[in-house]
Amino acid sequence: MTETTLRPIDVKKIQEMLTLKKSKMKVLLSFCAHCGLCAESCFLYRNHLDPKYVPAYKAINSLGKIYKKKGKVDREQLEEMKELIFKNCVLCGRCYCPLGIDIPSMISLARTICRSQGVFGVFPYAVGEP
Amino acid sequence: MIIAKIKPLEEVQAMIKDFKRILNVGCAGCTAICLAGGQKEVETLNTKLAVSFKEEITSPLIEGFTVERQCEVQFLAELDPMVEDYDALLSMACGAGVQFLAERFPDMKVFPAVNTTFVGINRDIGWYEERCQCCGECVLAITGGICPVTMCAKVLFNGPCGGSQDGHCEVDKNIPCAWVNIYKRLKAQGRLEQILSVFPARDWKNQTQGTFVLEEYQDRYSYKDKEGSQK
Amino acid sequence: MGETHLYYFIRGPLLWIAFLVFVGGIVFRTVQFFKLTRKKDHLIYSPTKNHKERYGKTSDQERKMRFVVSLENSILGQHQAVAILTSFFHVLIFILPIFLLAHNLLLYESWNFSLWSFPESTGDKLTVLFLIVALFFLLRRLLLSKVRALSRTSDYFVWLITVTPFLTGFICYRQWFDYHTTLIIHILSGELMLIAIIFTKLGHMIFFFLARFFIGSEFSLSRGTRTW
Repeated sequence: MTETTLRPIDVKKIQEMLTLKKSKMKVLLSFCAHCGLCAESCFLYRNHLDPKYVPAYKAINSLGKIYKKKGKVDREQLEEMKELIFKNCVLCGRCYCPLGIDIPSMISLARTICRSQGVFGVFPYAVGEP
Repeated sequence: MIIAKIKPLEEVQAMIKDFKRILNVGCAGCTAICLAGGQKEVETLNTKLAVSFKEEITSPLIEGFTVERQCEVQFLAELDPMVEDYDALLSMACGAGVQFLAERFPDMKVFPAVNTTFVGINRDIGWYEERCQCCGECVLAITGGICPVTMCAKVLFNGPCGGSQDGHCEVDKNIPCAWVNIYKRLKAQGRLEQILSVFPARDWKNQTQGTFVLEEYQDRYSYKDKEGSQK
Repeated sequence: MGETHLYYFIRGPLLWIAFLVFVGGIVFRTVQFFKLTRKKDHLIYSPTKNHKERYGKTSDQERKMRFVVSLENSILGQHQAVAILTSFFHVLIFILPIFLLAHNLLLYESWNFSLWSFPESTGDKLTVLFLIVALFFLLRRLLLSKVRALSRTSDYFVWLITVTPFLTGFICYRQWFDYHTTLIIHILSGELMLIAIIFTKLGHMIFFFLARFFIGSEFSLSRGTRTW
C-alpha cells in the first residue's frame, strides 16, 4: 500500500483535468444514443455477454459519473469505477460507435483521473494470487 | 510481450543529476505488466531517487505521470501541456516508447530508465523468458513450435551442429540444444519427416529498420512513387 | 375561442421560433464540431515499392473475400434486424413530414408553393409502418439487457417526443378523438422535437454525418481528414 492510497482526493486536480477536455467530452457524452450497437465491437463483451462490458456503459459509468458529480468524487466512488475501466477494458481501441463517438479517449481520461488519485488496476497475480 | 528490466539506480542517477526538474513518464502497457515501468514502478523509482539525491547538494525535483502506452500518438498527446515545466524527461517505456517520446518532444532531453530486453513469455510472476526475436519469417510451423532463431545459439536452421552433446549446447551446458528439442517434439507429434525439409539461405529482411502500412490503409497515406524516394 | 388563439400562436410565431432554433442549432453544433476537431497532420508513407509492385494486383478472389468479411463485421452483418429497421425509421422520419400532403397544403396556404406529396393512403400506411418500427425500438430498449443497462429516463422521454407527432398526426387524419386538441398536441410535439434535436441525444442527426464523413477511422465513409 503506497502513500497515495491514503491521501484525500484532490478534487481541484480532477476538476482541472475535466475542464481541459470538457468541451469535447461533454459533447461525446451527450450525443451517445444509448443504442448499444458498440457492444459487439468489444471482444470482451463478446466473450462475457455482460452489459458491464458494453463500451458505452463503461464510458458513461466512469467518466460520465465523474462529470455528473463535477469532479467531487470520493475514493469509494473511484474504487467502484476501477473494475469498469481497468478490468473490463484493455484500451485496445477497437470499439466502434456508428455515430463516431471516440470511446477510448473517454476511458483513457477516466483512467488518468483515477491514476492521479492513486486508484489504479492491479494485476491479480501481483498480489500473490495464482 | 515486450519484456524490459529496470536499469541500476546509479545509472539512472548519473543520467539526470544535472537537471533541476524531471518528469518520470511511465507506461501502462508492456512495461507495467512486466513490473518494470508502470505507475507503481514510477513512484518507487522516484522515491529511491529522492533518497539517493538527499545526500547531494542539489537534488532535482522529480515528478511522475503515467500514460496508457508511449507507442501511441493519442496517449503521448496527453503530455503536451506538461513538458514545458520540466528540463528533462525520464521514460520507463520500452525502447519504442522512449524514441517516440523523444521524437514528439525533440527539444526535451529524454532518458531511458529501463533496458528493453526481449519479446518473451511470463512463466510466473517476475519470471520472464525470451522466445522471439521478431525475425519476420516465422518457421514455427515446421519446427514444432520451437524457434531456432531464439533458442539455438548459432541460429541454425537445418538441424543441430556437431557440438550438440547429450541434448545440450556446446556454448553452455545449461542451454538445451534447440534442435534436439525440435526433434523430440516433432517425433512425439508424429511429424518427424518435417525435420528433413531443407531451409534455403534466409533473407534476414528484418535486420534493417522496418516500417509497413497494412494494405487496406495504403491509400490513406500518399506516397512518392519515384525511385530512390525517402522511406 | 381560446383554442383558436393557441392554434394561431403555435401555427405561426412558435413554429418560426422552433425552426429558427432548429436551423440555428444545426449551425451551432456544426461549428462546435469543427472547433473540437482539428485537421490531421498529413502523414506521407513513401516505400520504395508499393504493395501492388511488391505483391501484384489484388486478385478478384481476395477482393471478394475482403468484401464479405467487411460486410460480416459491419452493423448490417451483426445486427441485421436493427440495421434494416433503423434505416427505414430514419428515412421515414425525414420524408414523412416533408412529403406529407397535409403539410404541403399548409405550405401552399402560407406561401403559395408546395413540394411533391405522397398520395394520402401512402402517407397513412407509411405512418403506420413508422409507428410499428418505433414500437420495435421501444421493446428492444426494454427487453435487451445490454440496452436496458444503458437506458435512462431521458431515452424514454426522447422516444415519446419522437413518436408523439407521428401518432397524433395519424389520429388527427382519422379524426378519432377531439380533433382540435389532438392537432394542438401534434403541432406542439413536433416543435418540441425540432428543439430537442439540438439539445438532446437526437442531435445524433447532425453528429452522425459530421463524424462519419470528417473523422478518420477504420469505418469512416470517406477519407476522414479530421481527428478529435
